[in-house]
Amino acid sequence: MNFVWDGIQQAADLLVHGDHDIFVVVGTTLRVALWSTLFALALGLPLGLLLGLGRFRGRRAGLAVANAGMGLPPVVVGLVAALLLFRGAPLGGLDLLYTLNGVILAQTLLALPLVAALTAAAVQSLPAGLLEQARAFGASRAQVAALALREARVGVLAATIAAMGSAFAEVGAVVLVGGNINGETQTLASAVLVRVSAGEYGRAIALGTILLGIILVLAAVLTVAQQHERRALLGRPS
Amino acid sequence: MLRARGVAVARAGVEVVRDVDLALAAGEVVVLIGPNGAGKSTLLAALAGLLPATRGTVERRGRVAAALQAPALAQRTARANVEAALAWWGVARRERRDRALAALHAMGARALADRPARALSGGEARRVHLARALALEADALLLDEPFAGLDAPTRAELLYDAASALRDARRATLVVVHDRAEAWALADRVLVMLDGRVAADGPPAAVFRTPPTPEVAAFVGFAGRLEEPGTVRLLRPQDVALDPDAPLRARVTRLVPVEDGVRVELTLAHGRLVTLAPAPGPAAGAEVGIRLLGGVSFPR
Repeated sequence: MNFVWDGIQQAADLLVHGDHDIFVVVGTTLRVALWSTLFALALGLPLGLLLGLGRFRGRRAGLAVANAGMGLPPVVVGLVAALLLFRGAPLGGLDLLYTLNGVILAQTLLALPLVAALTAAAVQSLPAGLLEQARAFGASRAQVAALALREARVGVLAATIAAMGSAFAEVGAVVLVGGNINGETQTLASAVLVRVSAGEYGRAIALGTILLGIILVLAAVLTVAQQHERRALLGRPS
Repeated sequence: MLRARGVAVARAGVEVVRDVDLALAAGEVVVLIGPNGAGKSTLLAALAGLLPATRGTVERRGRVAAALQAPALAQRTARANVEAALAWWGVARRERRDRALAALHAMGARALADRPARALSGGEARRVHLARALALEADALLLDEPFAGLDAPTRAELLYDAASALRDARRATLVVVHDRAEAWALADRVLVMLDGRVAADGPPAAVFRTPPTPEVAAFVGFAGRLEEPGTVRLLRPQDVALDPDAPLRARVTRLVPVEDGVRVELTLAHGRLVTLAPAPGPAAGAEVGIRLLGGVSFPR
């Protein structure tokens, strides 16, 4: 098991000595995670509010689709996205196949149901009458939505953590849509896959360690924010 | 300020409010009272525009605000909750703080201003809830059971504070309650709602002392019933007095201790009555003399 320790040491060396390739792949990973999470939030929060609070025919079916979407196999999403993005396919004109934007699109598709379903669940669990009372005091739809998101912020942060985690950890869609091109569309997770395939276990462990470190730091920051909000909601000193 | 004509409202496809006509004028506090399930909250929601009327029309002159039954405060401080309501109402940011504090003061909740909603007791939360409704300065204010779920001393204290805070010559106010003491304390006019319809409408003294129908009488405390030739006479406990020398005789069927003595249930040849007596009261099963001091009669 020495190679595990060697891999961790290698990770430290790569970071300390400023390995250019590592910084490129870390940068790509962060960009994919940041933009796909932001896009998933921008689309998923309104969708979650609609599914959680709306009164329209098909709402339950929409919720079922969002819940099912949380378990979407990334490889299948990647395959469908790639097929749609092939030249000559319906979305081929967008020229997104084997590009970073294509990877961000695929990751957004994977994170969207997570955000929508978790947001819907969070706003549905708000105390009965809270939003109705806001309407009775003249709140507009946008104000009611803002109130719902604010009151359900612990759940919304959970959705953000889930979306971000998915973006960091996912491989299938990245490889199929992005082509796993070194220096362009390769992320830390897909780089690990390449290194393992090539038998470079030490470098794979190094990359994996860096990926885990980033996930742990960001998840810790979001979790601290989430638990701070929870304490504030419970009225306890933080 | 607000007028309903022939209003019907349905919940889950079932019509729970029917044929309601009512008008609220500025400066008036109207109390809507009725048993559970009578349709009071549903009517209030329809008057506020939160539920559609399936028939009839609701005309609103000016802006209508409704404080629903659950205080449902957001997880912020008491003052932030009032300010949020003012923001929804469209009040400019620079005015919100002063108006929020003034409303909290009017409801005796100024000291709670910086307290998180989660740390408020039931009575305190209701004070803040009422304060944010008052802060809006709506033309018509609808309050759904603002004293529900409170212990007796807290309720009494809040009731007396609300009775003065709700008086405003510019505003029409409708308050749903299901306790006659609350109606007496608040109302210029009382509407009694039974089975989805307004069954009585008038000043509290008229509605509670001379109810228009046997059903309303039974609801407002006329618990005794005597069959008389061609009529039925309904009596409140205070309309019946125990008098050993009285020729009218009745038998004691049940005694229930109450705060000021004992509630005595009596049966006669043509009915049953209820009265109040000092403790310990007559023995169960004893024959007693009674005098009738009042009551309302309806044709049979």
